[in-house]
Amino acid sequence: MSRLALPAVLVVTGLALTGCAASTTAAPEPTATGVSLDNCGTPVEITAAPERVITIKSTSTEMLLALGLGDRIIGTGFQDGPVPDEWATDAASIPVLSEMVPGQEAVLDAEPDFIYAGWESNFSDEGAGDRAELATLGVNTYVSPAACKEPGHKPEKLDFAEINREIGEVASIFQVDGTELIESQEAIVAGIEPDSRGLSALWYSSGTDTPYVGAGIGAPELVLETLGLENIAGDIEDTWSPFGWEAVVDANPDVIVLVDATWNTAESKIDLLESNPATRNLDAVKNSRYLYIPFAAGEAGVRTAPAAADLAEQLKALTF
Amino acid sequence: MRRAGWWGAALGVALVLSITLAVTIGPAEIRFDEVWASIVSHLGLGTTPLSVLRDGIVWELRMPRVLTAACVGAGLALSGAVMQALTRNPLADPYLLGLSSGASLGAVSVILLGISVLLPLAAFLGALLALAVTLLLASALGRITPTRTVLAGLAVSSLAGAVTSFVIFWTVTGDSYREILSWLLGSLSGARWPAVLIAGTAIIVIGIPVMATGRLLDSFAFGDTSAAALGVNVSGTRWALLGATALLTGAMVSVSGSIGFVGLILPHAVRLLVGPGHRALLPLSALVGAIFLVWADTIARTIFDPRELPVGIVTALIGAPVFAFLLARRSADA
Repeated sequence: MSRLALPAVLVVTGLALTGCAASTTAAPEPTATGVSLDNCGTPVEITAAPERVITIKSTSTEMLLALGLGDRIIGTGFQDGPVPDEWATDAASIPVLSEMVPGQEAVLDAEPDFIYAGWESNFSDEGAGDRAELATLGVNTYVSPAACKEPGHKPEKLDFAEINREIGEVASIFQVDGTELIESQEAIVAGIEPDSRGLSALWYSSGTDTPYVGAGIGAPELVLETLGLENIAGDIEDTWSPFGWEAVVDANPDVIVLVDATWNTAESKIDLLESNPATRNLDAVKNSRYLYIPFAAGEAGVRTAPAAADLAEQLKALTF
Repeated sequence: MRRAGWWGAALGVALVLSITLAVTIGPAEIRFDEVWASIVSHLGLGTTPLSVLRDGIVWELRMPRVLTAACVGAGLALSGAVMQALTRNPLADPYLLGLSSGASLGAVSVILLGISVLLPLAAFLGALLALAVTLLLASALGRITPTRTVLAGLAVSSLAGAVTSFVIFWTVTGDSYREILSWLLGSLSGARWPAVLIAGTAIIVIGIPVMATGRLLDSFAFGDTSAAALGVNVSGTRWALLGATALLTGAMVSVSGSIGFVGLILPHAVRLLVGPGHRALLPLSALVGAIFLVWADTIARTIFDPRELPVGIVTALIGAPVFAFLLARRSADA
């Protein structure tokens, strides 16, 4: 019966529902020997720069690669897709601990001193383990602050300052200088010229019967606003949200951002949009006005700014 | 029976009114007269006053969805009533013989493993496979009795449920679990005209003949022996009706996932209205099921507009308190 399958789904749902948002806590306070910070409500005390790091989800792996810290990663788990070419050489030698979220024993067996996760839910009992428990074993944990879900830690609305704050925080944990990376991110964002044609957009992340779309306060909204596009799901106070096809057809967006994931490719989304009698008459579908973004770049992190710049180039090429 | 006749007429009118109204309600604001002018234009009369896109909302999204809801609701409530009679078990529901877990396994395999079969077909085949295993198991245990059938169904459900959970746990990546979640909770958001064709055909070909078996089922009410004494071929009838309701349920599950509550509790609600006689119970359960699911799905697609809820959540959230209210009223009457 369906209810027998539900526990597994709920666990997996838990994994994902806790994705994507940002923290409003202050910058880490340097102590004599390291840093002490509040991460999604969990106190984290770093006495020495981590040497043996496990990264879970692509955002955390890519953050360290961008900071030139790829050699500290002893294993990755639950990666969303390949890293961008610029880091491919660095990433090639990093062992994959698990295709999915690694379990507690697999994590401890690798003897990490730091686990950096993209989602809070990666630290569940079925996942890498409880954060407090890991701390007692001497393993520090850290979650992308943009993905904090607790009230008071969840960011009201993601902006590039929040992403840069995370870069700064991670840099201070590893006792490296994040300024250069932050400045390059700022330069990328500054170089994006918002589209002035007054266009609306749908951020189509996944789903067939019920489309799952970028909503009003997360990375998709940040990217769309940077591009000068109005999100048709922008009124929903959430990072991502289930949406209805009727609402999509009613809004008739000018462009559709297609998230390309291995399990739900941009190609399959186009097939669906073109074969569904209700959506094939949308202006964006009739004129193939699509923008493409890899799944891993759609979550808040160091790829957000370059992804926005890339989408801006794609958008410029579209004619209306 | 006379009282049941009045109920039947009233519910029939209510169903037509429900469908008429439900298609005019949705996240997109389209006026009542425009909606119906558009529908009538598709039936060959006049031209639609709506743009191509808004016409698509009415004719390609809302209309098939509302009709599918009506068919699925009717089919599930009817199957539930028949299952409860055949197994003499008030807790029986259409999914009792492993149908929904089999269908879910079929659907999960398609969605997560990327097996290239159409999803409704995979779900239907999964349901039939589960049913076949259940009946084989039940007959391997000896003569097919209600209890053995129910227990065999339980075993098959558990196994298929475990395999489904395993597949989900093992293969889910990124946010691909979302689709399977709405399938497991039961959802009509993907219902288009092919779904109407599947569910409607099942109602006409299987549902209507099953509705006419009330007298037969009444003879089962006092046990197999008394049914045999009335001249009923007990085992043959049970096989035929189990098979028919399973096919009916399988067709419904294949278009909507496993929507809970409708098949389990609506037949009880109808019994509170017209008593236990199956000649009235079967058609009235079908009508009530259709009306109930049309409105439950209307709520599912509009209450958090523009978000959508899986309808299975709504059926349980509304249905359970309504049922408790009916029960309380009956005990107050008694």
